[in-house]
Amino acid sequence: MSATPPSSAAPKRTLRPSFQLIQAGTVVLLLLALCAVSAIQTETFLTWQNLIYNLLTNAAYLGIIACGMTFVMVAGGFDLSVGSTTTVCSVVAVLALQALTGQPVWVAIAAAVLVTAIAGALLGAVNGAAISYIGVNPFVTTLSTMLVFRGIALILTHGGQTESVPLAMKETLSQLYWGKVPLFGSQAHQVTVPILVFVGVFAVSLYVLRLTRFGHYVYAVGGNENASWLAGVNTSLVKAATYAICGVTCAVAAVIYTGMSNTAQASSYYGLELVVIASVIVGGTPLGGGSGGLLFTLVGLLLLSVIENLLPQFGIQEEYRNIVRGLIILVVVAVDVLARGARASARRT
Amino acid sequence: MTREETKSGDAILRMEAIVKDFQAVRALDHVDFDLSAGEIHALIGENGAGKSTLMNVLAGRFADYRGRVAVFGRQVRLTNPRQALALGIGVIYQELSVLGNLTVAENIMLGHEPAGRLPGTIDRRALAARARAVLEDLEFDLPLEGRVAGLSHARQCLVEIAHAIREDVRLLVFDEPTASLGAGDVGRLFEVIRRLKSRGIGIVYISHRLAELSQIADRVTVLRDGKVVGTRPVAGCRVSELSHMMLGRELTEMFPPKRNTPGKVILKVRGLARPGAFHGVSFDLREGEILGIAGLVGSGRTEIARAVFGADPARAGRCEFLGRPISRPSPRRCMARGIGMIQENRKRDGNITASSVARNVGISVLDRLANAVGFLSPRRLHRSARRTIDRMDIRPADPARLIQTLSGGNQQKVILGRWLCRDPKVLILDEPTQGIDIGTKAQIYRLVMDLAAQGKGIILISSELFEIVNLADRILVVRDGRIAGEVPGPGTDVDALFAACVGEPIA
Repeated sequence: MSATPPSSAAPKRTLRPSFQLIQAGTVVLLLLALCAVSAIQTETFLTWQNLIYNLLTNAAYLGIIACGMTFVMVAGGFDLSVGSTTTVCSVVAVLALQALTGQPVWVAIAAAVLVTAIAGALLGAVNGAAISYIGVNPFVTTLSTMLVFRGIALILTHGGQTESVPLAMKETLSQLYWGKVPLFGSQAHQVTVPILVFVGVFAVSLYVLRLTRFGHYVYAVGGNENASWLAGVNTSLVKAATYAICGVTCAVAAVIYTGMSNTAQASSYYGLELVVIASVIVGGTPLGGGSGGLLFTLVGLLLLSVIENLLPQFGIQEEYRNIVRGLIILVVVAVDVLARGARASARRT
Repeated sequence: MTREETKSGDAILRMEAIVKDFQAVRALDHVDFDLSAGEIHALIGENGAGKSTLMNVLAGRFADYRGRVAVFGRQVRLTNPRQALALGIGVIYQELSVLGNLTVAENIMLGHEPAGRLPGTIDRRALAARARAVLEDLEFDLPLEGRVAGLSHARQCLVEIAHAIREDVRLLVFDEPTASLGAGDVGRLFEVIRRLKSRGIGIVYISHRLAELSQIADRVTVLRDGKVVGTRPVAGCRVSELSHMMLGRELTEMFPPKRNTPGKVILKVRGLARPGAFHGVSFDLREGEILGIAGLVGSGRTEIARAVFGADPARAGRCEFLGRPISRPSPRRCMARGIGMIQENRKRDGNITASSVARNVGISVLDRLANAVGFLSPRRLHRSARRTIDRMDIRPADPARLIQTLSGGNQQKVILGRWLCRDPKVLILDEPTQGIDIGTKAQIYRLVMDLAAQGKGIILISSELFEIVNLADRILVVRDGRIAGEVPGPGTDVDALFAACVGEPIA
């Protein structure tokens, strides 16, 4: 269209921030404010010990799964089964290691990691297939697989707990959780292996979601699945793949935690899904998808982790903690809704 | 509130200097409009001229308009729909708002259910009685207890009207009530409207069909680009005069001269059918041909096009593209073969919400922009989007803009651009100019002609029959899910084409 259009006056370029950025901004400000207050109020908060070994290491395994959950939720989905998936994966990891007794330690661990990752991908693919090829609602599907996977873990463990991993592997395996790597060659400042793994998973996820064709399709499917399908996108495959990716991140987290306990329990990771979903939502990826992303999730995860870290430091009794956790989520999301509402009423059509 | 008795001729409504902006776009620019009791005042204009926006102001849907509104001589500030209803203003929207899962009686009384004896209950007997009274009063023959979903579109319109007309209604807006009615139903609707008029109700009548105004309206106001072009008594007003006022130029100037020459057959459709939607649809599309499909809303024209594109399944029949059948058609397969389709419902089927213009343009060519392992350079995406923005003259020219912040016309250009990136051999356009300003329309017409001149096959579906008549080489008339006839594009009269669409024999 080379012809000059009639007087459609070029609209002013306004630098109005999107509500998503408003929310992200709110979360960042809240995060910084909390950190500042606690750095002043408590002596323990701003120590390497607390921040790295405690706060971030705890956040790391949640963060790994939150990366997968971000894929699912940006595509407009939802996965309640991550806690159960992680449990099954940890059981699979331990059983695989036991089966590989006698093999060289690193070979055994590498093989177990691979098997666990495949298991995670398969469990995720079950969710993905039911949701995108059969068309069952994600909430219903993952609510049901949450129970089914938990049941599988119970059966695999013969009623509750696996035996410990073979003695020969214990020490190496525990490095996956307890291992520390000096940062900038300084022995005083070390980071833990879970943090490094998280950074790796995060970087790969960021690359895939931001810089690949698949990542663009994930946003497109979340933005408007119907339109994406009509534009020739294989939307079913994209949706199913996000669940498989989420399953793989569960497997990674499970392997790391096996390093901590050397065993697997069918009853572990209860409630994990809620914390992970909360991190994604608090960060600013909306239910329904289409926008948001990993950096938002990172901010949300840090906020929730800082709060979790501060609750005992501020002497908040255990019985009050859930109220605080719940209210924080509500407040942050309410800010988003209010910002959205303000914009909507500004141009109601 | 107590209401003054109105006599025929009293002023019911006076709207002065109404201004309404949608972000950067001025939808209404100091519009004046008035209405007397017992008057039928037609409001005409192109899509996007501001007719619906003006009526939405009247219905209380926008709180942020400027200007003065007086109802029965009293200044009011319309801020919500409830208030407009309380003032006796009723609106019958073109897109029906009836609830299919409820009965006719429940729909008519929706929002005014008589209370039962127990708190919170509904007196079902009183509800049925009142609904029956309304229907008898209007002389509508509708099954009170029938589900609305089971009624034909024309009868659903009657339910909508019955819902809007309550005893205290003083002013009724009909928003394109005849857009999808056949000739017989239009006649019956006009009787109803005249009966309402004789009771002193003021009626605003929005329509695209200029020819029918002389049968029904007293005065006509023409809107163009949000401004009033003029208000005239209908008596003595010629259709050509009105269309000139609407468009601001002669119809023919809008359309580029024909430059395309149809070549060999590129798409062959044979016996396409889906029970309940369309039957026995067969046609050919040639290279460099613009094939128009005309028909009423609900006639099956969109369903046929979507089936060709694989967006909806067909139960029988097949499509051949360049001599090879398309097996198990889906949008993805059709796209891979070189068929593209612009959907009618931009919001639902086109825009990828919350994504940038660049992503919206790029979605159909990401496989070509990305490298072998799926890496997609942001710079390449950006550059490709820029090219499309320049080519399509998308404003603002910013690839990072979220699509929903663009005007409708620019959104449409983004979606057209999405398909042009793909360079398809066949492009199906379903209502490509719906809700688009006149300047953009002219651009799209030129683009369609350019594409045809380059040898692309174009299927053009439109409710704006003059578009089809002026662009298409051949026109298929679709009625009740069948191809009822074929007429040549050039030289066909819009009124004759319309008659063919509603089922009068093709002359």
